[in-house]
Amino acid sequence: MTPELDPVIHAQARLRVVATLNTLAEGDQITFPGLKDLLGMTAGNLSVHLSKLEEAGYVEIVKTHKGRTPVTYVALTRRGRAAFEGYTAAIRELLDTARAPASEDT
Amino acid sequence: MDNDEQALSPEEMLRLIEQQETATVSRLAPNPVPHYLAWGVAWFVGFGAFFLRDGLSGTPYLAIPLGVTLALLFGLMALAMVVSAMTMWQLGSPVRGASQQRGTMYGFSWAFGFLAMWMIGVRFGPSLPIPEQGLLWSSLSMMVVAVLYMAGGAVWLVRPMFVLGAGVAVLNAVGTAAGPGWHALLMSVGAGGGSIIAGFVLRRRMRR
Repeated sequence: MTPELDPVIHAQARLRVVATLNTLAEGDQITFPGLKDLLGMTAGNLSVHLSKLEEAGYVEIVKTHKGRTPVTYVALTRRGRAAFEGYTAAIRELLDTARAPASEDT
Repeated sequence: MDNDEQALSPEEMLRLIEQQETATVSRLAPNPVPHYLAWGVAWFVGFGAFFLRDGLSGTPYLAIPLGVTLALLFGLMALAMVVSAMTMWQLGSPVRGASQQRGTMYGFSWAFGFLAMWMIGVRFGPSLPIPEQGLLWSSLSMMVVAVLYMAGGAVWLVRPMFVLGAGVAVLNAVGTAAGPGWHALLMSVGAGGGSIIAGFVLRRRMRR
């Protein structure tokens, strides 16, 4: 059997976004420009991917103000963290089955 | 855009995850090495001066006034504290939240810990003979340090930090029992040297 790969995460750009957010400690948030710099993406491009991740409930976007300047913070939701864990587990499983094609167990 | 939506082979996706994780951690994690080196030097030099002043058997190897040794030790420790604060504060970090709060509370624990220590020293120091006064101050300050290092190791799950704290706690107890000269020697070599070693261990770990 082949494990299902989450289509929301199974795309280069969004995988990188989720992997980056997953390294933050639980309860931490990163500013939008900070995330953009870490990923080397354009703001427009990152926004598109973030809104897809937000639609899936994987990412939480918080808009606040620091003085008068608006600041946007991004964080992985608990669901997003679980999805990323599931995705890496599935990928590892795929690789293991690919490496041992004549499996001894079923 | 199209490229972004593409998926690569499982191997490459896994590699992408690993690359992104290491890149993020190395950009966001503070470099702890200057902190450990600054404290290591402060203790090595500061307690080294105490050791020369007190001598193992009570006869000084070098006649340094108590005020000078105290100023040297606490001055260097204050400098090291500035280095630590700069390491932990992470000015301009794009991350906020739980880890920031953790760092702030930990920073305040140092301030309150040393406030308590200072008051105990001020209150009880004058009633002790001079060599014991020096020992009171140095053993109290190293007790605060040991406890907070162990706590820091527990908070951030950094084993070398915890081990250093536990080691300092034990050496501090042994040295206090043995007397001023031994205490200064153990702190200079053990705590000072230990902190410098911990700095190098953590640097090697970060490079990996």
